[in-house]
Amino acid sequence: MWYHKPVVNEELLQSLPNLRIVASSGVGIDHLDLKLLSSYGVKVSNTPFVVSTDTADLGMALMLASSRRLVEGYEMAISPDTEYFPADWLGAEVSGATLGIVGMGTIGYKVAERAKAFEMKILYHNRSQRKKEEESAVGAVYCKKIDDLLQQSDFVMLAVNLTPQTHKLIGKRELELMKPTATLINISRGLVVDQDALVEALQKKIIKAAALDVTYPEPLPRDHPLLKLKNVIITPHIGSATKKTRRIMMEEMIESIQAGLAGLPVPHEV
Amino acid sequence: RGIRVGYTPDVLTDATAELSVALLLSVCRRLPEAAEQVKGGGWTTWKPLWMCGYGLSNSTVGIIGLGRIGQAVARRLKPFGVKKFLYTGSGPKPEGAAEFGAEFVPLTRLAEESDFVVVTCALTPATQGMCNKDFFSRMKKTSVFVNTSRGAVVNQEDLYDALAQGQIAAAGLDVTTPEPLPTNHPLLSLKNCVILPHIGSATYATRNTMAVLAANNLLAGLRGEPMPHELQL
Repeated sequence: MWYHKPVVNEELLQSLPNLRIVASSGVGIDHLDLKLLSSYGVKVSNTPFVVSTDTADLGMALMLASSRRLVEGYEMAISPDTEYFPADWLGAEVSGATLGIVGMGTIGYKVAERAKAFEMKILYHNRSQRKKEEESAVGAVYCKKIDDLLQQSDFVMLAVNLTPQTHKLIGKRELELMKPTATLINISRGLVVDQDALVEALQKKIIKAAALDVTYPEPLPRDHPLLKLKNVIITPHIGSATKKTRRIMMEEMIESIQAGLAGLPVPHEV
Repeated sequence: RGIRVGYTPDVLTDATAELSVALLLSVCRRLPEAAEQVKGGGWTTWKPLWMCGYGLSNSTVGIIGLGRIGQAVARRLKPFGVKKFLYTGSGPKPEGAAEFGAEFVPLTRLAEESDFVVVTCALTPATQGMCNKDFFSRMKKTSVFVNTSRGAVVNQEDLYDALAQGQIAAAGLDVTTPEPLPTNHPLLSLKNCVILPHIGSATYATRNTMAVLAANNLLAGLRGEPMPHELQL
């Protein structure tokens, strides 16, 4: 299944008595009721590591585009109303700033590797601390308490998976702990953020800006306030959107399906 | 007429290199186009190949002009999984190139082998109009072209043709001739051409530093003293 559809519920499973395996695209499995599927004897697979590089690249792209005001700048450069480029039209530098990565898994770590080349100071919050060699390779400092990361970061990047523990991980309290000059970047899942609290925080300038590849729902309803805020960039869940990666995802799903149907061990079984 | 000239090199290297990479990523992942789809309602259902761009993993990056800014660009691109760096210019720069294992090649070879081309050279009589029909025709159909040097290094009509005919995949320009482009300029109509309003050094921190440096140059000049950064004429 590509992108969370069809919805796998009791009704669907009952109508497909011969279903042996659900192969899901991407790494996230928050859209699947694993207990339910297991109770019907259906296996589940995903496509974990192949999406990591492109998603990390997009996280960097969003952080840079937001900080340097790329979308606004593009609109100004092509607008028929633009007569000259104002000399005092400025953005903020990513180079040398502090990046706080929430969720230092495969994707989070790849973001850290990229950010290091911009001489960023890297903080991270994770369920567990990474090995010393992994930390020093990217110069990352562990923040056991998320508060410490939020208070010190110029950019907060969310790279956790969605679980009951990370649901609304970033709410009103967390946004208020962030610097008023900070930017929130989300490449995880929309529900990791309390979206209404985010809207309020952006409107009241409690944080400076947000760049989101994921929202809840996707797409947002046409009249949603996030679509109107000037300091927000939203992309349509394109974290893994390169032809090369999508092709490999498809191949992995087919591999898993073939193994599942043949009763063999399923690669990337969840 | 005996007029001295001060300028502000070096202090804008990081900001400009950063913007070059920001532009490259925005172009290859189609960020402005995708953002427009979100706002404009073009995002209806999700399809696996919709809005797909290009990744940097295992790519070859060609840098035209491996000076301070070019090197700072290479440094930032390296951890994105770039397999090979090529560069061209008036001559090889072994010390600068060593950090990236960059190979000095003729302009034609750089065009033929690069997945991403970044132009960070100075505008001189030798580089004027250097990126022209011949150059673009040698580039790969899947390649991305980024210019953050000066508009005049690129032949804009030839670039338009290359983009419109699919000779290259996409382009990002922080600089054009003139700035801004006239409202009916064909480059403005292309979805696969991202244009920025010359913001390479446009950060608060960098412009502050530039302003202070320029003022110090001026004061030194008025006092008849050596300038912090004087252009040798």
